[in-house]
Amino acid sequence: MRVRFALNGEPVELDVRADETLLTVLRRDAGILSARESCGIGVCGACTVLVDGRPTSACLLLAPLADGAEVATAEGLGPDHPVVRAFAEAHAFQCGFCTPGMIVAATALLAESPSPSDAQIRHALAGNLCRCGSYVKILEAVRRAAA
Amino acid sequence: MSRESILLGRVRYSQDRELPGMLHARVLRSPYPHARIVRVDASAVPARAVALTPDDVRGLGVYGCQIQDQTVLALDRALHAGDPVAAVAAATPDEAEDALALIEVEYEELPAVSDLEEALAGSVLVHERIRISDNDAAYFGIRPEQGTNVCHRFRILHGDFEVGLEQADVVIEETFRTPAAQHAPMEPHACLARWEGGRLELWTGTHTPFNVRSDLARVFGLAEEDVRVVVPPMGGSFGAKTFVHLEALTAALARKAGRPVRCVLPRSEEWVTNNRHPALLTVKIGATADGTLVAKRVDSWIDTGAYADCGPGVAQKIGYSAVGPYRIPHVHVESRCVYTNRPPNGAFRGFGATQAAWASERAMDLLADRLGLDPLELRLRNVLRDGDVFCTGETVRDVHFAECLERAAAAIDWGQGRSGKGLCVLLKGMQTPSRAQIAVEAADGGGYTIRCATAELGQGSRRALTLVASELLGAPLSEISFPDPDTDIVPYDTRATSSRSTYMMGNALEEAVRELRKDGRRGVGEFRNSGGLDPDTGQGVASSHWHQGAAAAEVRVDEETGLVEVVRLHAAVYAGRVVNPPGAELQNEGSMIMGLGSALFEAVSFADGQVVNANLSDYQIPSIADIPDGLTHDLLTKPGAEVHGLGETALPPVPAAIGNALGSLGIQTTELPLMPETVLAAIDRRDGGGVR
Ligand code: FES
Ligand code: FES
Repeated sequence: MRVRFALNGEPVELDVRADETLLTVLRRDAGILSARESCGIGVCGACTVLVDGRPTSACLLLAPLADGAEVATAEGLGPDHPVVRAFAEAHAFQCGFCTPGMIVAATALLAESPSPSDAQIRHALAGNLCRCGSYVKILEAVRRAAA
Repeated sequence: MSRESILLGRVRYSQDRELPGMLHARVLRSPYPHARIVRVDASAVPARAVALTPDDVRGLGVYGCQIQDQTVLALDRALHAGDPVAAVAAATPDEAEDALALIEVEYEELPAVSDLEEALAGSVLVHERIRISDNDAAYFGIRPEQGTNVCHRFRILHGDFEVGLEQADVVIEETFRTPAAQHAPMEPHACLARWEGGRLELWTGTHTPFNVRSDLARVFGLAEEDVRVVVPPMGGSFGAKTFVHLEALTAALARKAGRPVRCVLPRSEEWVTNNRHPALLTVKIGATADGTLVAKRVDSWIDTGAYADCGPGVAQKIGYSAVGPYRIPHVHVESRCVYTNRPPNGAFRGFGATQAAWASERAMDLLADRLGLDPLELRLRNVLRDGDVFCTGETVRDVHFAECLERAAAAIDWGQGRSGKGLCVLLKGMQTPSRAQIAVEAADGGGYTIRCATAELGQGSRRALTLVASELLGAPLSEISFPDPDTDIVPYDTRATSSRSTYMMGNALEEAVRELRKDGRRGVGEFRNSGGLDPDTGQGVASSHWHQGAAAAEVRVDEETGLVEVVRLHAAVYAGRVVNPPGAELQNEGSMIMGLGSALFEAVSFADGQVVNANLSDYQIPSIADIPDGLTHDLLTKPGAEVHGLGETALPPVPAAIGNALGSLGIQTTELPLMPETVLAAIDRRDGGGVR
């Protein structure tokens, strides 16, 4: 079946099977590699993308359900995006595997609450795992990016 | 790997590498921990997919980095639940998965060895003969005990333990356990293989490209030069991606298919591919009434699972790490690496030091308690200082254990009451002997290219080497390129393990730059550290320099639920000279956070020999919500000192520091992780008649 959605502001139209996830088709057909499969069951956040502004585990969302939505990924953020800059300045990454998902989740948090408390940051990012344990600096990065 | 490419998700890890015409692999695994494989029938697999069965690989070589005990697929017996018995390559991962269901395997279940006790009873042998590997990872004397499940025994004899014990006024004897744990790198194991004109080429996430190359050459009967291993950046490893895991199988599939094959391990299969060694340690330690250590005996057994991997090396490191950084005149250690019918266990950040420190440093606190001494005092009285002799007979230099302890203690206000607080000091060796080589080339269009085998796994050593090169060459960072390691091009290196890359390669780099200046085009530098231990006496040089650290923890315990809250956690680590400060901080913080997981909740659980928590929901790893507000650390530096690798030092002391903090409340535990039930049982023991 065909699904149409906006990907980082550009219209895309993809041929998908009804049982395929958004993550599968983004990676296979749309050249998106910043969203990554790690747990495959919605608990690690490595596949986080924004669907209509909400952070979503692309490994769980069936692709047809993205029809008509606005999908945003880290590819759509430039190096000068304030959250990206804050992650760079705070050195908030090691291997980088979790980083795009973390950044996407952080942009969603900051869009909703521009000056979050530490508790809010922890709550919002608790579903994004970083096995390298870059959390201290991730926290710092989100504080920096906050208004 | 530029920052921008990391942040915006442009890094291509092994799992993202592609070749035209590539197929995707899936693996069929034994459901039984031990079974005879009677028949494997893949005739129902459709012709467009390629199935690999035991008969396809029977003629291939046996591999193993320290012991040759592994075949490409299980041939006649499956040795653990999860042992590969067949594999399929197909156009998509789903198609490969579907084809697996069409393969019929007839098993005949055999009695299995499920833990160390059963393995040592020896009624079932996991391997009938134990053959030492010719891979250079088998660099120390390996001592298998044929006819048993013990594939290596390491011993330390220093002074005379029995004589020492007679001088002791107080003796503590206790047994400690640590469970299997999973590395859980966010990127799973992934590898891409192709055959090109009789040569095998692999793109794989590994710290050990040259060891992988030599094992694969042996499997396929090739010259080492006919195997090429390229290492893309890894999405984490923590030791998981050392030595051969998926590579032999993927290469065999690619050969049969006549096309490139990629295998990205499904998350659940990580738990049957490589875990941390479960360990059982008995510590007997004696001191005089004033708190002077006089004798220590350690008996250690680690469960290496069905395949040895680098278990013998881990057993050796546990052997001396469990003595701890102390001056003890009489020491006897027996450390064994034991086969069971469990998934293989291998290198895990800390390389045995976590298991060793848990036992050794918990025992120190029990001893302090019995002596009525402050645990910090007891440690400071006995800790190794410059010029002291370690149990291996080597004189230690540039050691700062006392300072690490003092800093860690100060960070949690040790002087203002010790209730709920605990300490742990750590000594960890660096691989000795080993050899590192690096080349620096003047690039045609200007600038420089660094070539070495140090892989990118997030540890920052490539960044650190680039910074050092930029300084030595007097060239800006933008003029230095550092392509992925490729065994066809880079000079030889032992391996990027045991936090040695920055130190070893950094030293080699100085020579490479000098040589480049002479030659104009290319300079190669080499650095070796020499030493090694006699496996029967443990005497020699364990480490050419020491990784040193200490951790301090403060906890709050909910005595109703048994829940432990870590309020403050501090690590003090000796860094010598720091090349890349943010990288060093990240290494420390990451290690401490991994240590928190090991301390509080991480354990692989089994039922009937099968892993039952093989996913990231049932096997939890720390999230940002688990990090204490008071997570701090400091790096001890000394002008002109050597660079000390920091990849692992701050992890191993964390569990014992937390365990000792519980101990200060009379909650005496001997087993990790410190789950509520374990803590509640210890509270019951305390309340039901004191410390046992
Ligand atoms: S891969 Fe989607 S949440 Fe982990
Ligand atoms: S930086 Fe490696 S998983 Fe987060």
